[in-house]
Amino acid sequence: MDYIVKNAWVIDPVNKISGEKMDLYVSNGRITDEEPKGAEIIDAGGCLTLPGGIDSHTHICGTKVNFGRYMSPEDMRAGRAPRRKGMRAVSGYSIPTTYGNSYRYALMGYTTLTEGAMAPLEARHTHEEFRSTPLQDGLILTLFDGDWGVMRAIAAGDVKRAAALIAWRLNAVKGYGVKLTNPLGAELWSWGKNVDCIRKPIPYFDISPAEYIKGVIEANEMLGLPHSVHIHCNNLGKPGNYTCTIGTMGLVPDLNKKRQTAYMTHVQFHSYGGTGWKDFCSRAEPVTNYVNQHPQITMDMGQIMFGRTTTMTADGPMEFNLYRLHQDKWSNHDVEMETASGVIPVIYRRKNLVNSVMWSIGLELALLTKDPWHCLLTTDNPNGAPFVKYPEIIGLLMSKEYRDKEFATIHPKTESRVVLPALDRELTFDEIAVMTRAGQAKALGLLDLGKGHLGFGAEADIAIYPIKPDKIDPSKEYAEIIRSFAQTKYTMKLGVLISKEDQIMADNQNRTFWCSPKVPAKYDMSKDPELIHTFNRYYTIRMENYPVDEDYYLRKSMKIETETTL
Amino acid sequence: MRRVTLILREEVDPYLPIEAEAISPEILSKNIDVSVFVGNEKKKLKEVFDIRVDGEAAGPSATEIVMVGDCHQVKRVGEYMTNGRIIIEEDIGMHCGDFMDGGTIEIGGNAGDWLGREMLDGTIICHGNAGNYCGSGYRGGRKGVRGGELLVEGNVGDYCAECLFGGLVHVKGNAGIHAGCNMKGGKLLIEGDCLMPCGDMYAGEATIYGHVTDFLPTFRETGKVTESGHQLIVFNGDLANRNAKGTLRVGSFERI
Repeated sequence: MDYIVKNAWVIDPVNKISGEKMDLYVSNGRITDEEPKGAEIIDAGGCLTLPGGIDSHTHICGTKVNFGRYMSPEDMRAGRAPRRKGMRAVSGYSIPTTYGNSYRYALMGYTTLTEGAMAPLEARHTHEEFRSTPLQDGLILTLFDGDWGVMRAIAAGDVKRAAALIAWRLNAVKGYGVKLTNPLGAELWSWGKNVDCIRKPIPYFDISPAEYIKGVIEANEMLGLPHSVHIHCNNLGKPGNYTCTIGTMGLVPDLNKKRQTAYMTHVQFHSYGGTGWKDFCSRAEPVTNYVNQHPQITMDMGQIMFGRTTTMTADGPMEFNLYRLHQDKWSNHDVEMETASGVIPVIYRRKNLVNSVMWSIGLELALLTKDPWHCLLTTDNPNGAPFVKYPEIIGLLMSKEYRDKEFATIHPKTESRVVLPALDRELTFDEIAVMTRAGQAKALGLLDLGKGHLGFGAEADIAIYPIKPDKIDPSKEYAEIIRSFAQTKYTMKLGVLISKEDQIMADNQNRTFWCSPKVPAKYDMSKDPELIHTFNRYYTIRMENYPVDEDYYLRKSMKIETETTL
Repeated sequence: MRRVTLILREEVDPYLPIEAEAISPEILSKNIDVSVFVGNEKKKLKEVFDIRVDGEAAGPSATEIVMVGDCHQVKRVGEYMTNGRIIIEEDIGMHCGDFMDGGTIEIGGNAGDWLGREMLDGTIICHGNAGNYCGSGYRGGRKGVRGGELLVEGNVGDYCAECLFGGLVHVKGNAGIHAGCNMKGGKLLIEGDCLMPCGDMYAGEATIYGHVTDFLPTFRETGKVTESGHQLIVFNGDLANRNAKGTLRVGSFERI
């Protein structure tokens, strides 16, 4: 089906279109410059029209998400909706069913999702859940934070071998990029310990997290992957951890002209000052200063919002500390020689000083970063808040009045520990468009694939929000902004209308993007005796059973072959 | 005073569950033309029950519902009720009196699982036995029954009064495994025997007149007491919690 979208108020930061009334032509799933014949006409009526939303860091599929579902049956009491025409029954709030995730993202105008962390050994489960997330394209970042082969190769100074191992594993598990969660922490966690920032070498491998991060960044660029290394820094959630965050950022050289060289994720959890919980405070300023001066770094907010949610991460020791704090349920998981994970439910409260400071830090990061291309909007769903809170965050960023009103309701001592009340900046629609789609597309390397913009030849991922930007003052009418970003008038993915108002219109539209670096025969690890020995000696499964079958597990496979410099 | 008598029709298949959350004084005092699900089919209440209505309605508080016949497959009777009376002459199905916030339910026969789950107030009297999860919370929830009184004259199944937060749960017979586990308040009284009670108890009072098998080692003995003619040993626990303030009194016990 071809479409003509009439009277669209288009904001497309990649093509430097900032609020122009124009018509968009959609033919064969792409944007074209020629008016297609016999096309259906959609009247946008001067409403805000953006490229389809992209979430660059979310947890929606995979074993740890499912563990969250197992251990929190009470979460399924919220968000229940019965079956309707073309829609399945859904339930759940912070960790909904896969269809719940997909429908809610579609109604918010999102068409591409990035699963933030997949344990390679559990790739099959992750892909199966993505199969059942019918309305969004999926990218899956693969965890390499405790991979014995890569650790040994980098400790021995052989970055090319590390790159070859990464390439083999990405190809085997159909992953899109490299994720480092609490680098080397998983290895020490299997001894019941944790790493302390980046300088101290870990026993038995004699390599420090700093050396490892540098090595993996170099290997990632050698493989020419579209996305940079995706880093969740060490010391998450500890007071005073901003020094560690800036130290990690300092390891990153500028190696790529097209995009950042390192993507720092949920930086809100890494921008804490103070020496303990008593003098816990915000250090968003030094962190954003560093990012402002170093274009090789892109980060995302990891904003928290008050209410109930579930935290889940591959950072096992941090979840254990949280469990000791909350004394509620806890799940922990060790994935053989690769990584770990932990899951606990939490409630963020306005009356809690620490939570109030955390809430302010996320907003400060977004407001203090001069260039929105370097600070993207996420909640690290569901760790900071479920993604359905994105519209509220947009409202907070666009309206000083709303921020002040919310600030008045949080813990009174917050004011002396944060800079948020002094920030007058109000983001524009253009900046929000960057922070929710264009910036993500650039950071993930999706611009070349035609995502994140509406230029000719781009994929027709279009979200039309029921809001007229020329007739609204976001700083005053923030309630209207929140309402309209929560539900689009139309969401289109690859030229297929997936939602209209609150009705889902399509099914089975999902594709999975994954990378297969073209590695020379010398570096083909499938015949490497050491890797084969590792599998035979230490893994619970054989090497030939390890790779994920493309035809069976992926609904529609989008293989990206990359040129390497090995 | 309005009395609604519901007589289960004989032609209804006893193996099909009936989802009857509509059977509560709030709804039937206004209107008896409501529907219920029988299996996966939506049916009118009058197709499933013979209905007799006596007297004029004057709000839910002046409404009495009488259920005649073996209603063991009728679920969710009295869910969210706030006032009035429900009298069930024989057995009743699962989830009877869920979330109830007032009024009285009297059951002549046995009750199914989840009797009075997460009730807030009101009274439930069951003259027969009750199933598992009697007076408990929903799976994963932190707070179970928060108020009201629940009396079972027969035996109860497993997980009786799990996550009890307030109110009184009184069992005259025996209880299964894990009675009162995760208790956070309220009172639990079991006159018979039970198995491994009050694990992870945080606060509240539990009393077991009979014998406890597989008693947990995480309770500390603090003294002895006589209550209504029963010699009881008093314990404090569960010490697996950081600030355990629970009191557990048992007649006799045998450690696990």
